[in-house]
Amino acid sequence: MSNVLQRELSKWTQTVQISSANFLAYKGDVLLQVIGPAVVFFLIKYQLWSSIYDFADAEVIKGYTIQSMIEYQAWVMLVGFISQSYNSRHLAEDIRLGRISSYLLYPFEFWHFHTARFIAFQLIQLSIVAVSVVALYISGFLPSLTLSHFVIGALYTSLIGLLWFSIHFALGILAFWLDETWMLRVTFIIIANFFSGAVLPLELFPDALRSLLYLLPFPYMTYVPVKIFMGVYEGSVLYAISVVLLWITILSVLSRLIWARGIRLYTAAGM
Amino acid sequence: MNDTVIRCQGLTKNFRNYLQPPGVVGSLKSFFKREYRTVPAVTEFSFDAPRGQILGLLGPNGAGKTTLMKMLTGIIAPSSGEVRVLGYEPFRRPRDFRKRIALVMGQKSQLWWDIPALESFLLLRSYYEIPPQEFKIRLEEVSSLLGIEHLLQVHVRKLSLGERMKMELMACLLHNPEVLFLDEPTIGLDLVSQRNIRDFLLEYQRKHNTTIILTSHYMADVQALCSRIVLILGGRKRFDGPLLEFEKILGGEKFVNFSFSEPVVTSDSIWSNLAPEWNNDKTQVELRISDHDFRATAKEILERFPVTDMNTEKLPIERVMETLLRKPELLGAVDE
Repeated sequence: MSNVLQRELSKWTQTVQISSANFLAYKGDVLLQVIGPAVVFFLIKYQLWSSIYDFADAEVIKGYTIQSMIEYQAWVMLVGFISQSYNSRHLAEDIRLGRISSYLLYPFEFWHFHTARFIAFQLIQLSIVAVSVVALYISGFLPSLTLSHFVIGALYTSLIGLLWFSIHFALGILAFWLDETWMLRVTFIIIANFFSGAVLPLELFPDALRSLLYLLPFPYMTYVPVKIFMGVYEGSVLYAISVVLLWITILSVLSRLIWARGIRLYTAAGM
Repeated sequence: MNDTVIRCQGLTKNFRNYLQPPGVVGSLKSFFKREYRTVPAVTEFSFDAPRGQILGLLGPNGAGKTTLMKMLTGIIAPSSGEVRVLGYEPFRRPRDFRKRIALVMGQKSQLWWDIPALESFLLLRSYYEIPPQEFKIRLEEVSSLLGIEHLLQVHVRKLSLGERMKMELMACLLHNPEVLFLDEPTIGLDLVSQRNIRDFLLEYQRKHNTTIILTSHYMADVQALCSRIVLILGGRKRFDGPLLEFEKILGGEKFVNFSFSEPVVTSDSIWSNLAPEWNNDKTQVELRISDHDFRATAKEILERFPVTDMNTEKLPIERVMETLLRKPELLGAVDE
């Protein structure tokens, strides 16, 4: 039994290793596509909020001082780095162009392969985040940073990464039916980002909308981890983790169903 | 042991396509309302293959060869009919089934491009759960047979097409598959590389008694490797038998080329029954001579004309294929 487990584990670790090597071969790509836009977006938000506080001539807006608002936005960027960088953007294209055929032949399941790839990416991403956190801390953007909050936050946010991965996987395999899943993904990302508090802190939303949002996974995806990192999350972290795990489970079941039906439509085009 | 490893009965695959009018308007239209049509790719296909056979699956582009291969390997689901490979239903893709077969696609790389081949092989070692000792032995055996020991640590993207194809083959053989599916393994390769791959496959097969299903447009591959031919035209099986029988499908005739040192008289009566094809200056001719008359006719031509060279075609199978593709009716009506 332990032998079987060991063999399974070695398939995972080897895939993670190879995938990291592959990702590192394209590090420039990752830097440009993921980190570049996020940094630009952060700088825009920095300018915007500085002007808003100036213009409104206010010290505090909905409980945020200009410093805590900027810190909030800095953490939004870092949460994005950890949880949202991997988007399995090739998955849909691979299905459409018939490139998943070899993975159907290996005695290692297709979704295991993709999950292992995700883990590889997550490990690389965490190291990039560690560097970014140090840089932002030295620049004074993260005044309330403590080690314990950072560790809990990073672990929680990695789980959010898994949630995002599950979402992307489920959306990606819709490519068995749809020619293009890109629009679907982008629409979802925009909606999710807005309602997760990545654009505006949720305190700025009307109360009724906020309580409604907590029935969905969105607030747990940005707002909650940012608050954990800042050390001001008022709810229970364990409860938040359970909610996220529940959503991951729902998505995995959904993906299994989509896969089982979709694979019958796979034509392995152009093989 | 001569057991049956592949068994198909009435295997059928229909693809559902939709037609999209050109342009933006067309793609918008087809988003809301699609006109579907069903295209049969493989129809009522039946055949058995015994262990250790090398079977050539022949047919023009779009005949359904690859679709058949995809069904046999479990990549796509059949629309109807029965298929068993090593006793498994391929499309259910049980792990044990996947461990016992392999597919090489000449047009598609299965290796990771940005790492040396050896690293891919190590990954495959863990996927196929090959014991380290056995892996080492097989790695040495196959790489020396293919002559690529020195390339194992080179990044795959830096290899030539021929070298890469050898790596692809090697990747598929490490787990010693019982059934090997080869989809145009020599496509795009130069003559020497093609020959190397053929020689390797022959030797490997002899040693391991692997069952091989091969598709190729190069008749030299088929001639060198296959003992049995299955011809597929328009998704249906149109011929199934030994290579020798396939060569004789057009009747017992030889195609013979003669070259002459000077132009010869084309009106001579000897040519009249031999369907001559002359070159421009009448110094070369291609004749169709029945097996029965070959000795007598050749002797007469050699004696009467200034022959400088004479040869019979090397690959009769190529001409058979060419003729059949042009005139499939020669095979008789499709039996429904």
